[in-house]
Formats: sequence, structure tokens, C-alpha cells
Amino acid sequence: MDNILSILIFFPALAGLLGFIVDKDSARAYGISVATIEFLLALWLWMIFDGSNGGMQFIEMVPLIADFGISYYLGVDGISLFIVVMATLMVLLGMIGLSIKKDIKNMIISLLFLEMTMVGVFLALDAIIFYLFWELSLVPMLYIIGAWGGPRRVYAAVKFFLYTFFGSLIMLVGMLFLAYLYHDITGVWSFAITDWYALVLPFKYQMWLFIAFFFGFAIKVPMFPFHTWLPYAHGQAPTIGSVILAAVLLKMGTYGFIRFSLPILPDASVEMITPIAILSLIMIVYTAMIAYSQKDMKQVIAYSSVSHMGIIMLGVFAMNAEGISGSIFLMLSHGVVSGALFMLVGVIYDRRHTKMMSEFGGLASVMPKYATIFGIMLMASVGLPLTIGFVGEFLVLLGFYKISPIMTLIAGSTIILGAVYMLSLYKQTFFGPVTNQENHKLKDLDKKEMMSLLPLVAIVVWLGVYPKPILEPIDNSVKHLVAFMDKKAKTQEAKDIIISTTLIREEK
Amino acid sequence: MENLVYIALFAPLVGSLFAALFAMTPKNLITAFVTSGLLFVSWVASSSLLMYVMDHGTISVNMMEWIAAGNLTIDFGFQVDAITAVMMVVVTTVSTVVHVYSIGYMEHDKGFNRFFSYLSAFVFSMMILVMSDNFAGLFIGWEGVGVCSWLLIGFWYHKADVSTDVNPSISPSWAANEAFIVNRIADLAMLIGIFLIYWNVGSLNYDVFFAAIPSLENSLLVSIGIALFIGAMGKSAQFPLHTWLADAMEGPTPVSALIHAATMVTAGVYLVVRANPLYAEIPNVSLFIAYLGTFVAIFAASMALVNRDLKRIIAYSTLSQLGYMFAAAGLGAYWVALFHLAAHAFFKALLFLGAGNVMHAMHDELDIFKMGGLKKAMRGTYLYMGLASLALAGIFPLAGFFSKDTILEVAFNEHTYIIWFVLWITAGLTAFYSFRQVFLTFDGDERYKKETDAHPHEVQNFVLVAMAPLAILAIIFGFFMNPFKEFATTILPAYEMSEHTHHIAWILIIVTTLIAVSGIVLAYKKYANGLVRDEKMENSFIYKLLQNQYYIPKFYMEFIAKPYKEISDILWNKVDMKVVDATVDGIAKIIYFTGDKSRKMQTGNLSDYLNWMGVGAMLLIVITALSMSLS
Amino acid sequence: MIGLSHYMILSGLLFSIGLIGVLRRKNLLMLFFATEIMLNAANIAFAAASHYYGDLSGQMFAFFVIAVAASEVAVGLGLLIVLYKKNGSLDLDNLTVMKG
Repeated sequence: MDNILSILIFFPALAGLLGFIVDKDSARAYGISVATIEFLLALWLWMIFDGSNGGMQFIEMVPLIADFGISYYLGVDGISLFIVVMATLMVLLGMIGLSIKKDIKNMIISLLFLEMTMVGVFLALDAIIFYLFWELSLVPMLYIIGAWGGPRRVYAAVKFFLYTFFGSLIMLVGMLFLAYLYHDITGVWSFAITDWYALVLPFKYQMWLFIAFFFGFAIKVPMFPFHTWLPYAHGQAPTIGSVILAAVLLKMGTYGFIRFSLPILPDASVEMITPIAILSLIMIVYTAMIAYSQKDMKQVIAYSSVSHMGIIMLGVFAMNAEGISGSIFLMLSHGVVSGALFMLVGVIYDRRHTKMMSEFGGLASVMPKYATIFGIMLMASVGLPLTIGFVGEFLVLLGFYKISPIMTLIAGSTIILGAVYMLSLYKQTFFGPVTNQENHKLKDLDKKEMMSLLPLVAIVVWLGVYPKPILEPIDNSVKHLVAFMDKKAKTQEAKDIIISTTLIREEK
Repeated sequence: MENLVYIALFAPLVGSLFAALFAMTPKNLITAFVTSGLLFVSWVASSSLLMYVMDHGTISVNMMEWIAAGNLTIDFGFQVDAITAVMMVVVTTVSTVVHVYSIGYMEHDKGFNRFFSYLSAFVFSMMILVMSDNFAGLFIGWEGVGVCSWLLIGFWYHKADVSTDVNPSISPSWAANEAFIVNRIADLAMLIGIFLIYWNVGSLNYDVFFAAIPSLENSLLVSIGIALFIGAMGKSAQFPLHTWLADAMEGPTPVSALIHAATMVTAGVYLVVRANPLYAEIPNVSLFIAYLGTFVAIFAASMALVNRDLKRIIAYSTLSQLGYMFAAAGLGAYWVALFHLAAHAFFKALLFLGAGNVMHAMHDELDIFKMGGLKKAMRGTYLYMGLASLALAGIFPLAGFFSKDTILEVAFNEHTYIIWFVLWITAGLTAFYSFRQVFLTFDGDERYKKETDAHPHEVQNFVLVAMAPLAILAIIFGFFMNPFKEFATTILPAYEMSEHTHHIAWILIIVTTLIAVSGIVLAYKKYANGLVRDEKMENSFIYKLLQNQYYIPKFYMEFIAKPYKEISDILWNKVDMKVVDATVDGIAKIIYFTGDKSRKMQTGNLSDYLNWMGVGAMLLIVITALSMSLS
Repeated sequence: MIGLSHYMILSGLLFSIGLIGVLRRKNLLMLFFATEIMLNAANIAFAAASHYYGDLSGQMFAFFVIAVAASEVAVGLGLLIVLYKKNGSLDLDNLTVMKG
């Protein structure tokens, strides 16, 4: 099947359209079956994907506006493949665990459209198509937060929308300028990212473009100091919204850096390592400390997401295969783990309609299964070896050590500070005697919740012990990327910092 | 042989997973039998591996690739050489005993099955730690034992937070978190060490790294050595990361025996012994290790002198003995450190298990001032604890005598007389506090009748029998010193005493035995005939200082934990909300404000609009004219 | 000799008269007349420039403008009548429904 990528993108959207005529009572079942098919399609894509090939595969290209070089251009490589698989998985599990009763049909349809945009962003190889999906993804999310959120949902939704939209517009300007430069140099118009890769740009332009792209991606990540929309969005969003937001939408930003900034602007990227690393370090330490002082469980996890995204950013700018592969792996693991943690908070919120830690205490005695799964996810979140969280974190820190040992030391404080806020959350919520009478009669996880959480537990352990099936294709694509950057970089400084492993291997 | 390696390694894991299946169901003896049985299997496999390694040398197996990215390849690789074999046998011996012991000790606990699951998981992590052939695998075990220790210290998680005036720990869950977080601080340093090794050697395998040592710069080796040692300091609770160990006594006593005496806390010593080719190249760092170990030995012993908590005394003595091990390792006598590690594991686990019996008899009362005269009711336990304390004090012919005496000889031989002197004093202190504890618990007047409502009774017979292997090992292990030396030095550097030390060795032995015996005699005089409280001494500054552990826990609380919380609160309330977020909202407000103001332009009157249009057109013309004239 | 600049000045004057009319008059009908004056000012400029360059496209454009102006008046006057019927006045100061 040649059009697997198109099917993957548009199947949920078409199914979402059909969803309007589905009966209200069967909407959830319909959504789950569509998401299952979509997930199976993604798995199938993984099956037929050639892991040893680091380049783009399953390329589809249909010219749309030939005069301006805009085309419907899709492709997948090791970097994007697993994010797509994870996105479809998280949508599926989120739907299984869905506990919303109000307007369930609209929720399902929004989710399916959201799924289309998410898959589209990661598969697009044309800047305009990429931008289209990038912006479209805001719409269902705006709706999900605004319609099913908490008391301040409108403020949170509008803030989320306007803030990220503002950044994306600057990114769009960057894209247009890049296309203009491409036209200037080659004489033809093209918005294909792969064409842009071939472009060797003067350093001054690279810097300007880098800054333009930076705004779009950094707000999405979200990097300090552009992170303040995130706690509101998470705090007000319904569980499913937080899950998707943390698991997939944030990854768009870091993915953008890898897909655009690094290969198109290698010299500027190398030049910007220090400022970005400093911002990332602030993210890691500062938000970890803020997470510690939160009183709302969900806010702890929201801020911890920012902290972990800081590590991912460091890995992206490590400029060697270890760091970049690690950061892509960390994107996946953070998606799985933070998604699971948000679901877990949702479980307790459904029962008590509060997320305040002070309301709880001693839950481990009342809800042992819940406490166990929370504990496993907690350990994955603090990066315990043999869980999924360790592999990425270890590789990122290892990779960035080559750039700066001191910065790595500061970034490494994440393993301490992460333990501090997560363990303090766990102690306040699960340990101690049951003090609140209402907590005595809480029910442990039911079947539906187990169904949505157990697969994630399995993934956490499986990929922690045996990450190879995923790490290998990622690593192949990343080696491809790093070797390309090394070849393309103009300044000697950049060439020195980018470590191309393929070349070293050949010398051996 | 490969299969034996896997059996030794994975039997505890299988046991743990099996017990985990029953974790949420009521007590089921089968979990205990399965886990203990599998540990025995692991012990048999470890012992056969020890025999095999003695005859045939190191075994290496490579299970599968774990992480591969860039140039980095990390395998699940295991090797069993002399050091590992010794560690494996020590670990499985103590843990098998502790498992069987726990069947009795945890008899009435609700979390019976869960306990065995955690305990076996710990053994598995410990086995990974000692068997791995690379630093990443070591780190898996390193963190794994940390988590199991977290689970087990906090085993009675349902206990409420209670502040005590002297002991800083407020609840098991608090102590568990403290242990985990303090260990993480050290783990960070260890990670840095691992990164240094990778970027300079290109591999994390022990063999590759050790082979590359001669070609590496000295300053780099010093950095690696320091980073790895800081990692070791966390696990082995060396100053200043020592506070968690005493607080870890909140956990069940079998846990203290297994994790916080015999195995996990010795992981740091294991690391230094394992990395001996590295530390041999950096004598300054090694000497620092020796001095720090010596300092910790006397520092911990001094705190044990006045403590009233049965388990904390033993915990401090563990700390002190770890100091001895580091002193030996730092002075280059690696096999001596390993020997003391093994001997200490046996008698200290025995001591802890004995303390567990006492706790059971006294209904979890830990204050030795409220005990006394227990020997009538608990003869077997008295015997065991007395024996273990003798071994700890270093009395001939028990295991502690041989190992501790050799360490002192080494210190003398290296001409580091300060170390020798301090360790010598510490030997006296050790004897004193060990027997202070024994006499206060088992001899003298029966204070418990007044102070508590406990009716002490001896534990079940099978528990006493289960403890017997440790007692036997505590007695006879010392006589295996020469075979042990021969075996261990097949891969560790042989440490030879100089001719001079050899000649005066017997003087050293006598001097050491003398101070140990006088410590015991002093303790006997003071405590064997009942407790006489000396108010003046108890109110003295030094007594208070020691009782409050030099105010270090308080210092950490006031100057690290609390400020951290306060700064976090400030960052959230003041910086994040009031500065960063307010800026963003401010920008949005400016846009809103200007829009609101300029709304007045929209009067609805067409001629006003036309006027504005005229102004705009004029402006455009002016701008165009200006830009044309400028260009 | 009457040259291009004379036509241009005439056109400019007419345009200014129209513009002032648009800006100052309050009656919508008068605004229409003023607009017509402006359009015709442009027409003069087109025709003059066309003659000056010997290029017919300027005159063609003037015809275009006339056609557009005619249709605009037709539609515009229709709307005015509706407006007048509805409000009974064409005074702009009274027509402020769109006040923000």
C-alpha cells in the first residue's frame, strides 16, 4: 500500500465526519474502534518500515500549487515514525479511559480531528502542509479545553490558543522567507523541507531564520520563559486534553527543532547552543522547584512536564547521535509516562472531584492497585533504570556532556529534584494514615481504567528493558541527520561540535 | 556454567514476581516458601560459581544488547570473577537467612506477601549490581537497590508523621524519601563519572576502561575517581551523606539486617574494590578515601556511644565499620576491605536479626533504657547478640578479629599512624558501645516491667535455627582468611606487609585486643548491674551534641530542606506568577487596552471615517515621498 | 500652449474639490456627487496622460471608470432611496448605527 501515510492522516478525520451521524450512545464505542484501527495502521506502518534505512520512506508527493512549489508531500523516517505510533496509542488509551459524560459525541469527534492534525504534523514534509496541520491542531484542543475544562477554562483555552498562535505566525514568516531565499538562489519556488535541506545559507540569514523558527517551536515546547500557558491549560483541561497535550502536542515543538532548525540551519544551531542550553537549564531546575511547591497534583505533573521538556531540548542541541537519539526516545517516554500520570490524576479526580494533595493521604491502603501503577509511573518519571524514563534521560545527559560538563551537572540535578517533587507528591497522597473520611470508601481502579493504564505499564517496562526495537531505527535516522549536518555545516566551529558518528565508524 | 549465572541472577526475580502476584491478597505462606526456596537456589548457584571461579577463573556472559545509540553500546553483560563471586555468596547467604527469618518476623503483618516480593526484588537488584560487567549495568543495580530500599524502609507507609526531639525521622515514608533523595545526589556524581569514562574511553565495560587507564591523563583519572567515589559515598552513607542510614531504621528489622547492614550499604566499598586499577593510579584520592573512612569510623562510633535506640546503635556501628572498609580500600589493601565486608555482613546481620527478636519481644519498643534483664526470657537471642557483638568488637577467634586487625596492621604498615591511631581508638569505642547495648538489653535490672507492658518471650525455634548459619560464619569465617586472600588476590592486587610490620604484628594484635577488652570491661562495669543514670553527664554539651548527631540532621533540615521549600514557594508565587506570567498577561492587556481606547475612533459616522481615511492617505503619501527622497 | 501639467493641475484641483466635498459634506447624496467629481478628475488625468504618451490604454481606462461610476451610481442611488425610506434622512450625523 503506497498511500499508507495519507490513510493514516485522513482516516480519523473521515471517521470523525461520519461520527456526526453516529448515535450518541454508541459514540464512545465508535471512537474506540476508529482509534483502534488507526493504531493498528500505525503499527502496521512500523512493521513495514525499514529500520535500517535512515532516510525518508513511503514518500507521497502530489503538487498542489505548482507555481509556488507547494505540494502535498509526506514521508516518514525513524524520527517521526514512533511519535506517530505513540500519538495514535495515546488517543486510543485516552478514549478507553474517557470518563466524560457530557457531549461525548462532540468529544469523540474533536479527538478524531485532533488525531488527524497530530499525525499530519509529524508526517508532513512540505512546510505549508506542516504549518497547516500545526495550526489546525490548535482548534480541537481549544474546543476540548474550552468546552469540557474546569472553572477558568475559557481563560486557559484562549491563552493557549493565542500564545501558541502568536509563535506560529513568526514561524510562518520564517518559512516564507526561507522559501523566498530558496527562490532567490535556485530560481524555483519550493516549500519542500527536503529541498530546503540542500540549501546552504549565509550565517546571518541562518541566525534570523533560527530566531523566527525558535519562537514557533519554543512556545510550543514550552521553553522558559514562554511556558506559562501550560500550567493553565493543564490545570483547566479535562483529563483527556491533558494527556494528549502532554504526550503529543508538546512534542511538536521539539520535533520541529529536529526537523527544521538542525538540518536547515546547522551553523546557527551550533551558534545558539549556549543560549538554548541556558534556557533549558532554567526550565529544568526552575520548574522542578516550582513543581515542588504546588498543591494541586495535576499542576505538579504539568510543571514536571516542562522540566522534562528541558532535558529533551538539551538532547536536541547536544549535536551528537547519542544526545539526539536520546531526546527523541525521551519524547516518547515522556509522552507515555506523563500521559499515564495525567490519566492517574484523572482517576482520582473522577472519584473525589478534587486534585488537591492535602485532601488525600494514605491512599495506598485504600487503593493498592492505583498506588502500584502510580508508583511505577513515578519511578519511570524520575528515570529509574529498566524503566522507559531512564534510557532517554541517560542518553541525553551523556550526549550533552560532550558539549559542556558543567551544564550537564546542572541538568543532571533533574534526577535529584525530580525525585524530590515526585516523592513528596507520593508521600502526601499515598502514604500516612487515611485522615480524610471521604477517602475511606474510595474504589480501586475499575476494569476500564485498568485497560487504559496496563498497556502503558507494559510499555514502560518493556522499553526500559529492551529499547532496541525503537532505539535502533531512531538512531539510524539520527546518524543520517548528524552526518548530514556535519557535511553541510560551513563554519569550522560547527564542524568541530557536530560529531558525526558514521564517519568515525567508517574510519574504524 | 552460563546457566548457573542466569539461575543465580534470575531466581530472586522470579521469586519476587511470583510474590508480587499475591501482593494484594492476605497472607499466604507459599510466597515466603517460594521466594526463600528460590533464594536458596540462587545461593547454591552462587556457591557453585564460587567453586568454579576458584578453579577456572572468570566467567563472562553477554545476555543481550540493552542500549545502543551513536557510538555507545551497552550490553546486559555479566561476569563472575573472584570479587563478584564473594559478593554473590555473601549476598545470597545473608538474604536467604533473612528471608527465612522474616517468615517468623512478619508473621502477623498485613503486607506479608508484598514484603517478600520487595525483599527478593532487592536481592535481584543487588545481584545485578555485583554481577554486571559494565558501569551502566552497575548503575541499574545501584538505582534498583535504591528503589527497593525506598519500598522497604517505607514498608509501613501507613504510619503517621510523628516528630521526635532527638531523632529527625518523622515516619517510615519520610525516611524512605530521605534515603532515596540523598542517594540520588550521589548517583548524579556517579553518572558524571560514567559520562567521563564514556567520552574518554568509548566504552563502559570494566575491562576496556581498566585497560585504557595507563593511557589516560592523571587529572582525568582523578576526576573519574572522585565522581565514582561520591557515588559510593551515597550508597555507603559516608559523611556528609550519612544521615539517611540511621533514619532508614524505620523499616522492618530484617530489611535493616539485609540492606542497611550486610549488602546495599557495602555497595560503595564494592565499587572502590572493583575499580581498584583506577584507584591504584590515583594515590591522593585513595588516601583521601582512607582518611574519610577513618573519620567516619570514629564519627559514627561516637554517636553510637550515647544513643538509646537499639537499632540506631547498630546502624551507627555499621557506618563505623564501613569507615573501616573504606580505610582499608583507600590504603590499597583491597582484599582486606573485601574480607572485612564479608565478615561484617555475617555478624552485623546476625546482630540486627537479634535486635529484631528483642523488638518483637518488647512490642516494638526500641529504647534500651527501658529494657534490661532480658537474658532470662531470651537466652538464644542473648547468645547470638553477644556473639555478634564479640565479633564486632574484634575478639579472637571471631571473624571480626581477623578482618579488623588486618586493617589496623595495614594502617600501621602504610606509616599512616594517624589512621592507625584513630581506628585503634575506634576499636575501643566499638567494643564499649556494643556491650553497652548488650548489657543494657539483656543484663541488669528488669526495667521493662515498670516502663512497658511487654511480656518478653523467645522467638520461634525455626527463627533461631535460621540465624544459626550467620552465627557459625561469624565464628569460623576468620579462619578462612588465608584461602580468601589467595582467592581474592587472583584479580585484586596482593597486599604484602613489610618485614618490619610482620615482626611487630603480634604487638599490634595485643594492643588492639587490649583496647577492645578494656572497652568491654568498662561497659560491663557501668551497665551490667543495672542502669544508673548520670544526669550531669547527660546534660553535658558533648553528650547532647552526640545525642543530636552533631546537629547535622537539624542543619540539613534548617539550611537545605526548608530553604529549598521556601525558595520554591517564592519562585512559584512571586517569580512565575507575578513576573513571567504577569508579563505575558501584561502584553495581552496592552493589546486589549489600546484596542479599547482606539475603539472611540469608530463613531459610526461615515464622515469621520472618511476624515480618518484622508489622514491615512496623506500619511502614506508623505511616507512615500520621504522614502523616495531618502533613497 | 496648454501642456500636460495644466491638465494635471486641473485634475488635481477637481480632485481636491471632490475630496473636500467627501470629507466635509454631511448629506450622503452630496457625497456621491463629490465622489463623481473625484472620479472625473481621475478621468481627466487619464485622458491627458494618454494623449501625452500617445498610448490609448489611458483613454480606455477612463471609459472603464465612467462605466464603473455609472453602475455605482445606479446601485448606490437605489440603496440611498431605501435608506431614505427607512430613516427619513440622509444626514450622516444621524446614521451612526455602527458606533463601536
